[in-house]
Amino acid sequence: MSFFELLRESMPLLLQGLVLTLQLAGLSLAIAMVLGVVAALMGLSNNPILRFVNSAFVAIIRCSPLLVQTFFIYFGVTGALGIRMSAFTAGVIALSLNAGGYLSEIFRGGIQAVDRGQTEAARSLGLSARQTTWRIILPQAIRICLPSVVNQWCITIKDTSIICVIGLAELTRMGQQIIARTYRSFEVWLMVFVLYFVVIYAITVASRYLERKVSLDGKGRD
Amino acid sequence: MAKVEIRGLHKYFGKNEVLKGIDCDIEAGEVVCVIGPSGSGKSTFLRCINCLEQPTAGTVRVDGNIMDANASNIDVLREDVGMEFQHFNLFPHLSVLENVTIAPVLRKKMGKEEADQVARQLLERVGLADKADAMPNSLSGGQKQRVAIARALAMKPGLMLFDEPTSALDPEMVGEVLDVMRQLANEGMTMVVVTHEMGFARQVADRVLFVDGGVIAEEGTPEEVFGNPKNERTQNFLRMVLQA
Repeated sequence: MSFFELLRESMPLLLQGLVLTLQLAGLSLAIAMVLGVVAALMGLSNNPILRFVNSAFVAIIRCSPLLVQTFFIYFGVTGALGIRMSAFTAGVIALSLNAGGYLSEIFRGGIQAVDRGQTEAARSLGLSARQTTWRIILPQAIRICLPSVVNQWCITIKDTSIICVIGLAELTRMGQQIIARTYRSFEVWLMVFVLYFVVIYAITVASRYLERKVSLDGKGRD
Repeated sequence: MAKVEIRGLHKYFGKNEVLKGIDCDIEAGEVVCVIGPSGSGKSTFLRCINCLEQPTAGTVRVDGNIMDANASNIDVLREDVGMEFQHFNLFPHLSVLENVTIAPVLRKKMGKEEADQVARQLLERVGLADKADAMPNSLSGGQKQRVAIARALAMKPGLMLFDEPTSALDPEMVGEVLDVMRQLANEGMTMVVVTHEMGFARQVADRVLFVDGGVIAEEGTPEEVFGNPKNERTQNFLRMVLQA
């Protein structure tokens, strides 16, 4: 089989895997972003219980491998509770908790980097604490941490490849399966590599553009 | 009833006692300038009035209402107390117009169109009608401070606090901000101004407070405080700042 025949035969399967990879990553990251903001606000709360919950969550996520977290949720938790869970659901839970933990630290740093005078100005106009957080602080904090957030997106997209261990036919798994049939390791891994690279590189380019678009350097909105 | 009533005001930062018992009434329509050396507590005094700093002891009342940062009515009470900061603190992610409209829209449930209209009038009043769609970071310091004044006025406050509003400005921009403040004073706004602009204090203030070491060391009309200071610390302070 020539390279091009192999390419023609493999690409539909690899693209199918890529779609699953992106679904897994997209859904997980959407959940992780919300989780990250909420966890960051808990970490900055005056309430010691909320602060404890945040630091425990972040510690658990940061101090254990994603692979173990995935096994724990897919095999451990389901077994202990006697419930059934699809590999996709387990993958999304593991990835969103994992990315949420890291994003919460990124957001916490961004929120703390917003000048204290912003809060004072907003509160002195009569804005409530909640209005100040959502209308004044978070929009600025997200701009500050955008590069780190995009970094985490890239990491999480790649981390979906770890989820193949619980049997999800995402991009990496698809590659393995094709190699098992064709024994064309070099070419197939190259294709997998290129697919990951193209998607993630496109996201980094788009984020640079977005960063310029939302920057507050005085050149106005556009 | 005085517009502002301050009784036995003490403020500690940790073990450091910054305000050591201040009693002061400010009448509606009065312009009070607060002067004093740096570290004397004059900014802390001002920030206690709208409870950006919670008093350690004593009370601050505005229109008879106790200002308490932990009370549920504090947001509503602050709506009536505008504040200007040394570093303006405009919201950099919002346009000039949005900076002025955000509080009326969120707090007074004003419609967007009405808020825009009010905001444009206020920007006109501070001489910045043409900057409505600009972003704050494209403005000069003097322009930023005038937008900040328009932003505070949009809530129609009965009292305005100014915390060294011209200290961060290049010298050529001080005048444009003081002009707006002078105009506000002439319109009868109740104002408390922490300032190093002795000329402004002398010309516009109804009363001058000299704060030193966390207490009001001397107070009186500008003529009394600047012309014939009785306290030795006031004399030394004025000698130093007026010499410069």
